[in-house]
Amino acid sequence: MNKHILILVGLFVAAALYPMTPAAFITVGISVLLFTGWATSWNLLGGWAGQLSLGHASFVGLGAYFVAIGSSQFGLAPWWSVLLAMLVAAVMALIWGKLTFGLRGPYFALSTIAIAEILRLIAINEGWLTGGASGVFIDTLPEPMGIDLFDKTTQYYLALIYAALTIAVTIYISTRKFGYELKAVRDNEEAAMAAGINPTVIKLKAFVLSGMLTALGGGIYGVFLSFIEPHIIFNLLFSVQIALTVIIGGRGTIWGPAVGAALLVISGEIFRTTFAQANMLLYGVLILVVILALPRGLVGEYAHRLIRKKYANRA
Amino acid sequence: MDYVSFFQNLSNGVLIGAVYAMIGVGLTLVFGVMRTINFAHGDFVVIGMYFAVVFNSVFGWDPYLTLIFAIPLGFIVGALIQKVLLARVIDAKPETMMLATLGLSLVIANLLLLIFGGEPKSVQVSYAASTISLGEIRISVVLLFAGLATLAMISALYWLLNRTEVGRAIKATAENRLGAELVGINTKKIQAIVFGLGMALAVTAGVSLIPLLFASPVTTGALFTLKAFVVTVLGGLGNIGAAIVGGLILGVVEVLGASYLDSAYRDAYGLLVFLAVLLVKPEGLFGKTVKRV
Amino acid sequence: MQTVLSAENIKVQFGGVIAVNNVSLTLETGQVLGLIGPNGAGKSTLFNAITGFAPVSTGKVTFLGRDVTHEPAYMRTRYGMGRTFQTERPYEEMTVLENVLVAAFLKNAHRKDAERVALASLDRVGLLDRAHQLSSDLNLARLRRLELAKALALEPKVLFLDEIMAGLNPPALKEMIELVRTLTATGMAVVMVEHIMEAIIQLADHTIVLASGNKIAEGTATDVINDENVIEAYLGTD
Repeated sequence: MNKHILILVGLFVAAALYPMTPAAFITVGISVLLFTGWATSWNLLGGWAGQLSLGHASFVGLGAYFVAIGSSQFGLAPWWSVLLAMLVAAVMALIWGKLTFGLRGPYFALSTIAIAEILRLIAINEGWLTGGASGVFIDTLPEPMGIDLFDKTTQYYLALIYAALTIAVTIYISTRKFGYELKAVRDNEEAAMAAGINPTVIKLKAFVLSGMLTALGGGIYGVFLSFIEPHIIFNLLFSVQIALTVIIGGRGTIWGPAVGAALLVISGEIFRTTFAQANMLLYGVLILVVILALPRGLVGEYAHRLIRKKYANRA
Repeated sequence: MDYVSFFQNLSNGVLIGAVYAMIGVGLTLVFGVMRTINFAHGDFVVIGMYFAVVFNSVFGWDPYLTLIFAIPLGFIVGALIQKVLLARVIDAKPETMMLATLGLSLVIANLLLLIFGGEPKSVQVSYAASTISLGEIRISVVLLFAGLATLAMISALYWLLNRTEVGRAIKATAENRLGAELVGINTKKIQAIVFGLGMALAVTAGVSLIPLLFASPVTTGALFTLKAFVVTVLGGLGNIGAAIVGGLILGVVEVLGASYLDSAYRDAYGLLVFLAVLLVKPEGLFGKTVKRV
Repeated sequence: MQTVLSAENIKVQFGGVIAVNNVSLTLETGQVLGLIGPNGAGKSTLFNAITGFAPVSTGKVTFLGRDVTHEPAYMRTRYGMGRTFQTERPYEEMTVLENVLVAAFLKNAHRKDAERVALASLDRVGLLDRAHQLSSDLNLARLRRLELAKALALEPKVLFLDEIMAGLNPPALKEMIELVRTLTATGMAVVMVEHIMEAIIQLADHTIVLASGNKIAEGTATDVINDENVIEAYLGTD
């Protein structure tokens, strides 16, 4: 674990210095960091607990909409809105999980898609609350200690702290009982039950944690966009992107989501200038490559081989 | 209550439902034999749509004419995809196969985007606005043709499954893959054939629908896939007859829901029913496959 | 001598098939109970019903004074049942040590303590040197020992072994019998489902024979082997 913390600190410092370099692409940086955070949060449920969610955009949307509506309709400061969003995310995950965890893998994924779709339709149609299809603007935001929340560099640091937080949480869990309970349930649910673990409770905890952390990132995203629209936020493709980022990077690993996020967001940017909006093509091709050749994802395969090598050297 | 408009809506619902049924039957057929949820199924439908669009804009052909090529091509391409790609992950966890089809869906949708651009496309047919009258009810000719195409395809499928040796082999493989292998059936070949059939059905649905709808490379695919899921889950995955009923139910629920309840939530009704079935009776209204752990 | 486990008139029915028909058994402290029978006799089903992996249609299971008939498997583990699985179920993406850690965490919430217990458990089964090997790389005999280590790390009151001797070659079989013997020597009560008569003869204090879901004989190992009902059940009537 110690080496992970060292890596985290090192990366944090490097990332913190990044905006000061000339020609720094701050917006891309924010995207990479937000995606890292969302992917790492998704990983808790999809990688560690083994429940494939294709509806995580719901939680992002929750965070973004709460911040937007909170500030434009209720004059709430974003940090309160986000806290509220996280609470609602927790409750939603609890109910959603209780209802659907009995379903086998692919069917659980289908249910997540259906729920996210329903949320999208609600966001479009309940205009009195969400501004409907035309969306919500965030006009003004408070300035805590004189910090301008609309400034891109400030948002970058917020996103950086968020990404680091999610990774820190993952590192913490990885060595504790909860982390092992998660992986046990994922690898072999019956054996886990025989070991005294209640799989439903574990999955619920993972779902709640995952949802809350994703919503937190959603709040920052809302501030970043300052204009929230249902199609952008409650988007199936968005959910798919988050899930694929982790699967390509490596489910159940600590750094897989971050590697996936960096790889996909950056190449997406490069791709976009050459191939217009077909950058999802990259995701499609990569997921096929991963499935056929690297089932544990980039970091996962690397870690797997490393363990084998370390043991062989020992013997 | 206005009986005329009710029956009007009902007939529209049934006809649209028939096309949904054809999409659903393709998906459920594949599921029955390969035990996999095909995320790319809706994109296959869109391929059919674009096929008709191309032939219409280049040669001026009526979409139904393109079926001559679309059906066999769809079958061959589908079989190839299964052989080259999906056959490799057939024995992995079901989620892996699902992810493979997801990747496939993304690749297809985005290739279509690259080739055709993002604006929605459709075809103009001379009979687009024509209707036939049945008493006081007017039935759109386009919808009627779609319903007829579905009837034809499903009848052909029925004949194939029940009256040919291939069909028997397919049913045996769906029932019990290991058992089928033991009696000498080449299940790998059957799987490729079935996937090809599924795509042929999807492509036909696409061709039937293009006079009615617009094809948009990225969103339309996902929309149809979701509808296909709703249909097959409602009926029970692997159960063809039930998929037909499921499709009809979905069509009717959507049209009636949109007419008598809030039309904006039209798509949500199907989804809500879908969720309800998944949670309450996961085997579907008629099905036997276990979806619960 | 105290009864730690009692199963009363257990019936397990799946649809129209009665897998276990009105079987009762008891287990005392420090006793090793053998459960044998030909294929399809219902011994695994009974085993699963007692440990919580198959539903009991009628009957009662009492464990350490508690009625656990309808308790989920993980609760029964928490009460003190530790079982192995006939088809090994390692957590494939984890190392041998991590596999056992999962179990050790049941009674030891802190990593340091759990690791201590896990290592001790591995030592007991002779897998200490492979602690950092990926569990998916183990051969059958070692996987069996891993199953045992996982069960031991739960610090169970009663050990439930599901055909732990199956498929082992003669040297490995001998090792496993010795291993189980050292465990029983400490006074651990054990229920073992077995096909390998050698293990039953050497280890079991009391043996129950099932056939077609019914209990057909009971007694010491030598008694039941020579019981003509048992012989008939295994070999079939002529």
